[in-house]
Amino acid sequence: MSSPTFTTKKRLVFMLLAVSVVVFGLMMRLGYIQIVRGQGLKDEALEQWAKDIPIGPKRGAIYDRNGKELAVSISSYQVDCIPADVNEPERSAEIISTILDLDKEDVLSDLTKRQSIVKIKRWISDEEADELREADLDGIVIVPDNKRYYPYGNFASYILGFTDYDNKGLYGVERTYDKYLTGTPGRLIKNTDSLGRQLPGDVERLVEPESGLNAVLTIDETIQHIAEKAALEAQVKNKAKRTAVIIMEPKTGNVLAMSTKPDFDPNNPREPVTEEQKQEWAQLSQEQLIKEWNSIWRPYTISDNYEPGSTFKIITAAAGLEEGVVTKDSTFHCDGYVRQVKSPKPIKCWRYYNPHGTQTFVEGAENSCNEVFVEVGLRLGKDKMYEYVREFGFGDKTGIDLTSEAYGLVIRPEYIKEVNLATMSFGQGIAVTPIQLVTAMSAVANGGELMEPRIVKELRDQNGELVHEFKPEVKKRVISKETSDTMMEILRSVVDNGTGGNAYTAGYRVGGKTGTAQKVVDGRYASGKYIASFAAIAPTDDPEIAVLVIIDEPSTGVYYGGLIAAPVAGEVVKETLDYLDVELKYTAEELEEELKKKVIVPDVTGKDLNEAAEMLAGQGFKYTTQESGAKGSLIIVDQFPKANTEVNKGSKIELYTQDKVEVEDTIIVPNLKGQSPEKVIETLNEMNLRFKFNGNGLVMDQVPKPGTEVKFNSLIEVEFQKRDW
Amino acid sequence: MAKGKASDFTLMIATILLVFIGIIMVFSSSWPNALYKMNDGYYFLKKQLIAGVIGLFAMLFFMNFPYWRLNKLSKLIFLGCIGLSLLLYTPLGIEINGAKRWINFGITTVQPSDAMKLGSIIYLTSFLSRRKEDIKSIKKGVLPALVIIGIGTGTILMQKDLSTSAVLGMALVIILFIAGMKMLHLTVLGVLGLGAVAGAIALEDFRLNRIMAFLNPFEYKSGIGWQVVQSLYALGSGGVFGAGLGKSRQKFFYIPEPYNDFIFAIIGEELGFIGCITVIVLFLLIIWRGIRIALNAKDLFGCLLASGIVSLIAVQTLIHIAVVTSSMPPTGIPLPFISYGGTSLMVYMAAVGILLNISRHTELDRS
Repeated sequence: MSSPTFTTKKRLVFMLLAVSVVVFGLMMRLGYIQIVRGQGLKDEALEQWAKDIPIGPKRGAIYDRNGKELAVSISSYQVDCIPADVNEPERSAEIISTILDLDKEDVLSDLTKRQSIVKIKRWISDEEADELREADLDGIVIVPDNKRYYPYGNFASYILGFTDYDNKGLYGVERTYDKYLTGTPGRLIKNTDSLGRQLPGDVERLVEPESGLNAVLTIDETIQHIAEKAALEAQVKNKAKRTAVIIMEPKTGNVLAMSTKPDFDPNNPREPVTEEQKQEWAQLSQEQLIKEWNSIWRPYTISDNYEPGSTFKIITAAAGLEEGVVTKDSTFHCDGYVRQVKSPKPIKCWRYYNPHGTQTFVEGAENSCNEVFVEVGLRLGKDKMYEYVREFGFGDKTGIDLTSEAYGLVIRPEYIKEVNLATMSFGQGIAVTPIQLVTAMSAVANGGELMEPRIVKELRDQNGELVHEFKPEVKKRVISKETSDTMMEILRSVVDNGTGGNAYTAGYRVGGKTGTAQKVVDGRYASGKYIASFAAIAPTDDPEIAVLVIIDEPSTGVYYGGLIAAPVAGEVVKETLDYLDVELKYTAEELEEELKKKVIVPDVTGKDLNEAAEMLAGQGFKYTTQESGAKGSLIIVDQFPKANTEVNKGSKIELYTQDKVEVEDTIIVPNLKGQSPEKVIETLNEMNLRFKFNGNGLVMDQVPKPGTEVKFNSLIEVEFQKRDW
Repeated sequence: MAKGKASDFTLMIATILLVFIGIIMVFSSSWPNALYKMNDGYYFLKKQLIAGVIGLFAMLFFMNFPYWRLNKLSKLIFLGCIGLSLLLYTPLGIEINGAKRWINFGITTVQPSDAMKLGSIIYLTSFLSRRKEDIKSIKKGVLPALVIIGIGTGTILMQKDLSTSAVLGMALVIILFIAGMKMLHLTVLGVLGLGAVAGAIALEDFRLNRIMAFLNPFEYKSGIGWQVVQSLYALGSGGVFGAGLGKSRQKFFYIPEPYNDFIFAIIGEELGFIGCITVIVLFLLIIWRGIRIALNAKDLFGCLLASGIVSLIAVQTLIHIAVVTSSMPPTGIPLPFISYGGTSLMVYMAAVGILLNISRHTELDRS
């Protein structure tokens, strides 16, 4: 047996030292990792463990100016799947596809995806969510979600816009106010294993989503309805390619209504709204369909240029009056052709075949005589003309808070030749957007201030607290109050005596200007394609609304603005001002006319006196009543003449009233037992109860019993019996 | 040779502590895998517990089994180990992930490479102790010794387990070094060894990738760097005091088979820097006591055998910790006494038993 050598022992000690050195090194390394880099690594690890399930915030609602809901978010659910947790994909797919009405194969492929989380379906109903919860499938998560809903369907769609699948605003106010409406998403954070399964014993953390702000529009739901109806009727009646109606409040620049037809339903922006659309779209390829969608989603009134034609004479006239180159009474002569300007093609008055002859400026406007306005334009000169055109906001964005606003097209002064100046004066050779024109009209109407058009009035939080108010903004003064007043007189004259006659509405002092422009297609005037329009302002003595009606490509053969657009504008003015309760002011003749009209008496019974008075006054009736108490507490129980009778307008209606308290309060049936018939009659009459007597003598019994609560004028049956002793 | 001498108490306690920690950590780290894959959260715990108990008996047995008898039995043991390895090529061999490393004996499976580790150490030390001076000669000592090493590591290499055979190879070469091999020869051997490693790396792309993963693990986080990054995350999130026993999150499939080649990372995550240091200190105790036993062994066989066993424990432990701390390119080496693996645990406990027996026959004190 040999023993270890000295070398062996030396080398053993060396090994011990070597190992110690390595161990020390590893300890240092370990300390470096666990202590020095520990927090950083831990943070990264935390991130790796945490799986977020985003929870969509509730998108703010959009209200009209009176608080009616135009766009709301309704609570809904979303089904997600964590494939790693799914135990029986086949069975689960079967159940899910049945409940959610999905294709089983699609669901199965979702359930087996190598992904930490897969979205199966959004916007499922409460019932579906309940059924799924009951099925209690592993790996299936139901998270709260919300879906955008537009209660009025294809209503104000160009104003509201719509949202995409992820509740992100794509068009309209939904887009421009997206950041306010959206809110802050919440998160459901849980720690998971590497396959995305929740770690056992770990707590989920929920970061609550924060709802978005509500937007209150300047739009008035009722007025919008008036505009929608008018636009649709005008489109159908004139077989037009497109119609648009804008109603603006001149003093504030508030857009009260804005409608374009055809339009879309923001609930389903990719679905056709009308039968025609449905047929037409069925023919289209996917590519064409996408093009069609994009074109129909574009807000025409904001992003399309058109040649305004004679409605633009409002601008020329205002500029001319302001600069003093013309007065109301300046005289002009129309011989059918503009001779002051050299032009390759003669510039004609629209009635060149029957010239207007000598006329005042006001008459020229009434006649919409091109020669008059060419002369005014020439007197202004190109620089002044250009200045006013720009001052009124043409060639520039109005700043309305909607998407894809266009600039319009205004020729720069250095390129304006006399011909251009001449045609521009009557609205040719210039392109404007409808919103530009209605904003400029408002400036003419409101005393001369160009407003920034407004569509959103204020932002409110979920509790209705005001968060931000957008105040009306005056951009600049364009013309003086005097010029504005003169313009109102002239425009009223156009309606009362001239080409705008079809917009006349008795009592509402309508002013306006017709417009008929040949359409420019690919840089040329297209034959047979017109845009008929009418610009109205009412009442001219205190403008409440500016209305622009545009009928694009009417195809029934009638295309004059005065013939087809003016009546629409007149109707819109009447209905809107009726709704806004603007005072009717009749001239003597108008009053006579009005009174001659036969009208149907409305039914006012059951209403309180206030309501009845308002209703009758609104329809031009007078009324009398025998009572003089507080109007609100009186209920109409009868009227003469009766409802539905035909009478002269302005007739007097007699109203019979009863105290509301009596009508509505309950009466406690008194105890009549032992009373005489005379006494009973007195008691019940006093209490406004009817009665029916049986037998005679003194009261033995009564129905209903004493103490019963009955309504006013109820019947009490009373049983009498003689005492026999 | 008084039989009444007590064995090295420190060594025994350190070993038992490590085995104890190991069983707990195997249980903790294997829980998710056991639950999801085996449908029994206690699956690995049970097996490791049984192996621990058997290992304890093996340790006690060898503690009382005169080690010099191993010298005589060495040839038989070595042949037995080779025979066991050959069983892999019978229907008893189980193939997992393309490598045959386990033999199924019905009631249990055995990993022959673990037995081979101890077997070749015993055989090599027996060979060297019988030719004390021959180690200085290439022909008589070094070459025959290299043949033994070649057979030992070769059988493991055939099981496509390069890292284990490398660990064994290193342990065996350390025995040669301690036995007194000439530095010149050793240097030549070292150069050849480095050459072989370089060749092996050049031969297979995945080995180069591992070096890339080592140099810049976070860049390859989702691919080859995954294990390294996950291991660092585990250690880092453990910090100084650890997340607490059982609270590891990385064991939830972020670290594959966390009860095995990366168990030290889970120790780091659950027990923190303090836990890691405790474990390292226990290993250092074992190594220190082992070397002490070798130094004091009364004969060359006992000295070299103790050296071999300590070398094996040291090499495997250091590599495991180095891999987990990303101090070297990643490779799959379990941690002795701790990682899951019945054969390994039993063999290591038996080996400590041998060490303890040697300690009973030292010439000096055994405090």
